[in-house]
Amino acid sequence: MKNFIKNRDFILFSIIIFGVIVVGFANPYFVKPSSLSDVLTDTSILIILALSQMIVILIRAIDLSVASNLALSGMLISLLSTVYPELPVVFFIVLSCVIGTLLGVLNGVSIAILKVPFIVTTLGTLSIYRGLIYFVSDGKQVYSHEFSENFLALIHYKFLSLSFLFWVAILVFIVMYILLNHTRFGRNLYSLGGNPDAAKYIGINENKYIILAYAISGFFAGLCGYLWVARYSVASTQIAIGFELTVISACVVGGISVMGGVGTVVGCTLGALLIGLIRNALPAVDISQFWQLAISGAIILIAIIINTKTEQRKDKTIMVE
Amino acid sequence: MVVCLYMKLELKKISKFFPGIKALQNVDFNLKQNSIHALLGENGAGKSTLVKILCGVYQPDEGSIFLDQQKHIISDPTSSLQLGISAIHQESVMFDELSVMENIFIGNHIVKKNRLVDWFAMEKKTKELLSNLEADIQPDEKIKDLSIAQRHIVQISRSLVHDADIVIMDEPTAALSQKEIEELYSIIRNLKKQNKSIIFISHKLDEVLEICDEFTVLRDGEVINADLISNTNKDQLITNMAGREISQIFPKKQVTIEQEILNVKNLYKKTQFKNINFNLRKKEILGFYGLVGSGRTEVMKTIFGINKFDEGELTFKNSKLKIKSPKDAIQNGIVYLSEERQNLGITGLMSVKDNINMAIMDKNSKYLILDKLKDLQNASELQEKLNIKVSYWSQLAQSLSGGNQQKTVIAKWLSTKPEIIILDEPTKGIDVRSKSAVHEFMGELVDSGMSIIMISSELPEILGMCDRVVVMYKGLIKNILDVSKTSSEEIVGIASGE
Amino acid sequence: MMKNIIPENPPFKLLNILYKKEFILLMVLLSIIFINSNVTPYFLDLYNLIDSTFLFSEKAIIALSMTLVIIARQIDLSVASIIAVSSCVLGYTTSVGMDTYLVISFTLLSGIMCGAFNGFIITRFAIPSIIVTIGTMSLFRGLAYSFLEDQYYNKFPKFVVSLGSDYLFGYIPYAFLTFIILSIIFAFILHKTIIGKRIYSIGNNPESAQYTGIQVDKYTFVLFTLNGLFSAIAAIFLSGRLSSVRPNIAFGWELEIITMVVLGGVYIYGGSGSILGVVISIFILGMLSFGLGLINVPGVGIIIFTGLLLILSIGFPSFIKYFRSKNE
Repeated sequence: MKNFIKNRDFILFSIIIFGVIVVGFANPYFVKPSSLSDVLTDTSILIILALSQMIVILIRAIDLSVASNLALSGMLISLLSTVYPELPVVFFIVLSCVIGTLLGVLNGVSIAILKVPFIVTTLGTLSIYRGLIYFVSDGKQVYSHEFSENFLALIHYKFLSLSFLFWVAILVFIVMYILLNHTRFGRNLYSLGGNPDAAKYIGINENKYIILAYAISGFFAGLCGYLWVARYSVASTQIAIGFELTVISACVVGGISVMGGVGTVVGCTLGALLIGLIRNALPAVDISQFWQLAISGAIILIAIIINTKTEQRKDKTIMVE
Repeated sequence: MVVCLYMKLELKKISKFFPGIKALQNVDFNLKQNSIHALLGENGAGKSTLVKILCGVYQPDEGSIFLDQQKHIISDPTSSLQLGISAIHQESVMFDELSVMENIFIGNHIVKKNRLVDWFAMEKKTKELLSNLEADIQPDEKIKDLSIAQRHIVQISRSLVHDADIVIMDEPTAALSQKEIEELYSIIRNLKKQNKSIIFISHKLDEVLEICDEFTVLRDGEVINADLISNTNKDQLITNMAGREISQIFPKKQVTIEQEILNVKNLYKKTQFKNINFNLRKKEILGFYGLVGSGRTEVMKTIFGINKFDEGELTFKNSKLKIKSPKDAIQNGIVYLSEERQNLGITGLMSVKDNINMAIMDKNSKYLILDKLKDLQNASELQEKLNIKVSYWSQLAQSLSGGNQQKTVIAKWLSTKPEIIILDEPTKGIDVRSKSAVHEFMGELVDSGMSIIMISSELPEILGMCDRVVVMYKGLIKNILDVSKTSSEEIVGIASGE
Repeated sequence: MMKNIIPENPPFKLLNILYKKEFILLMVLLSIIFINSNVTPYFLDLYNLIDSTFLFSEKAIIALSMTLVIIARQIDLSVASIIAVSSCVLGYTTSVGMDTYLVISFTLLSGIMCGAFNGFIITRFAIPSIIVTIGTMSLFRGLAYSFLEDQYYNKFPKFVVSLGSDYLFGYIPYAFLTFIILSIIFAFILHKTIIGKRIYSIGNNPESAQYTGIQVDKYTFVLFTLNGLFSAIAAIFLSGRLSSVRPNIAFGWELEIITMVVLGGVYIYGGSGSILGVVISIFILGMLSFGLGLINVPGVGIIIFTGLLLILSIGFPSFIKYFRSKNE
């Protein structure tokens, strides 16, 4: 039982519940089911992206291009939908995922085949993909009235008073949980990240896994491209700027180690929920929007420090006192 | 005993070349079924190249491989595993954060029909394997919590899961206690009974003579001798490996030991060591013996300033010593050569000259600006003294051979003109000829006035080289013995906690 | 008896120079200048060229200290946010009427404190710098936002405005001049002093450096503080030039600065690189932007091109190797 309480994920969970209660005292409206449901909806995209980023971080890399990928995919399908508004929304969702995956594969190939370090590659594609948005859209926005009905309709679906967005997040959570805990691919990710040299001796093809990991990250970036654009009913060059940092923070707070090979799906999700809670709690307790960036940054740093202190290996006990 | 003459593995005329080096030349290697076959040779003789070829990491440039009398090509590690070849390495091919069960089945998880991992079947099989090997390990324990001997057992289990017919063991007893070594021997004999064939690589010739059936000796990439163990003896093997007779493995030097130079009092670090009291005299070689994990390295790292201690006092030449970092230790004339020679000694991307001067940059500079002349002088002096093979000074350290890299590290430390040198397992994994050279060198050092503390897990070395030995067990000093008045049985007994 | 004298360098072969990173970069720079001058007559105009330096001088200054940080196997993503903080301090101290020298001192101090904060968290808690600076990137930028809200500063001391936009002797912009002087100082420190050797050692093998007696934590702390200081210096020039400070000032600059360093041949994982390479790469990127701008390629196009250039310049050698091995 003691181990369970010390368990990271349990601590995170407690902090979240505690936070909700504290904010609830300051602003009772916040704990109404509909408000909480809004928070969950607002955090859904972050959860999805954090889970897919987790796969990349597990193998000791980072994908800094997810936000640009998301924005580019979203813009492309938005533009297309203004030209072909009668096409079913499923078509656009699939297309967005495909575009995202392709952009992700480009990252993977650059890192695995061209041997360009992941920092350099994803910093580069961060700019390239963001720049391409300008090119395809001529710098113009796609406004809400330009989207077709069926494009936007799906987002507003509610099932059991939880939004469509959140159900997608739940689905992604389930898929990721099974993928990382119950498939060979998932378990091999952990070993590749934990000891890359040894993994190669065992016959795990590092290049294949790198490309697949970035492809998955890109796939979900593409999916979120649709979700974001549909939710906010706007596609522009500015969407999700800087969001990759929020995603990475969510992973780190959730216990995914940048050293690779360590982290749980549950932890990652809790990390995203905590960050989402902070983002929504601040306006709820009437903190000016200008302070939110600073406070989020501070809380993330504190979380990272606490995280690291608990993670750090204590010296192996040699002598019993 | 039934002697089986069936050839499990035959390597015919295998050659492997690297730029400028003939790693293997026309090597014939024949592994009989059910045999424990020793692969012997000095560092650089070609053993690890041969193993890498068998594991599919390298491809031979010439020659062919026959398994069960059928020709095969081992194109990558996966093919090697599929052909039934499995290796237990010195370096950790283990995943610390994963469980024992996962490490055994790594890359090879049992899956159900729906492609999902079958944890139940894996746990069952793991328990079975572990009990067959009589190991007291739980399937869900994390590797990082296991001892080295236990990790070996996990690696062996992994080979068994792969249904390996050939198990290659590379220095398997390097870090084990006597008791664990005996256990490992019985596991190996057990494997033999299970129809496995074993390639056994070790530098400990006594061990080889005890447990192996046959041997092959490599020297400079060629096979010098291959025969039954029963047809040879230790001296012959040494001659095979070294190419000449080595009469003295421990060149005994005549040195008069002088007064006390270092005094350690009541050193204590929580959970690491306690009541550490010993002294070191000038020109003395003080040995530190104990099982792996007994705390010797931790004590030395503290004296050198890498770690902090909670209580204790250090006295150097009758004045109190305050060491808060390696810089302090070095300034006081104490240097430490770590066990992990490769990682903790060489700065690969910097030049050989820079490496040699690395620890005395302060002295070789004026107002922080490098003095090229002093640098060159010091580097030349040491290169000559240690006979380091280098073509030009700006050559990157990583381009040197392993042996020369080691010499560069030693040169770096000698540049600081130390009075006390702490050596942590200086000859671990080194062949007989180089061992002898290291010992001779140690003798020269004390002759010229230095004092040495040597951590070693090899009794012959302790008995042959040291004047006194400190025996540690679980973070405590059990006894300090005069080497000339004790025996290996006594030392081993104390180190095991009796 | 003749002593065997070991030479310092391998025998001089012209071919070896051709393979050196700095030489390749120089060739790239010359080709860009050549192409640009043929594409548009405005390129080789002296005044245009001089004015083009304004666009990259501030980033270039930070790139110099960032070079040391990266060689030491670290990375600092918070530099642009530190510019924001320092600019705010600059604007605020001016608005409350402080003397110029106090304004400048406080501005520099704010940069030093931000950098020291980075250094402290990284060394005290042993957290990878990429993660810490991702956090402080938001924290510092957030501080600027919470301070300014939706206002902006547009009054600065004359001295500062002059620093940012004026020329020495009417020809050489102060910002550019500062960059050139600093690059000479940094080249000296990195290649001729023990400080430089220690930085290379730390970047190549931090554990070994520690065992050799190098105080790795101290050096790391100082390097990040230095980065903060230089961000503040850049902030002074930038604010002077723009004469306006909004909280989103220098947005995205950290990526451009890191690009300057990595394109200059500094290995992202530390241990190798030269100031000369970084300086040439700064000119390459500067001339490229300038030239493309002259032929009316939108700023976005320049960003895309820079990203591609970065990836391909590092990927190219592997690309060649890959094809060579396939043909064997």
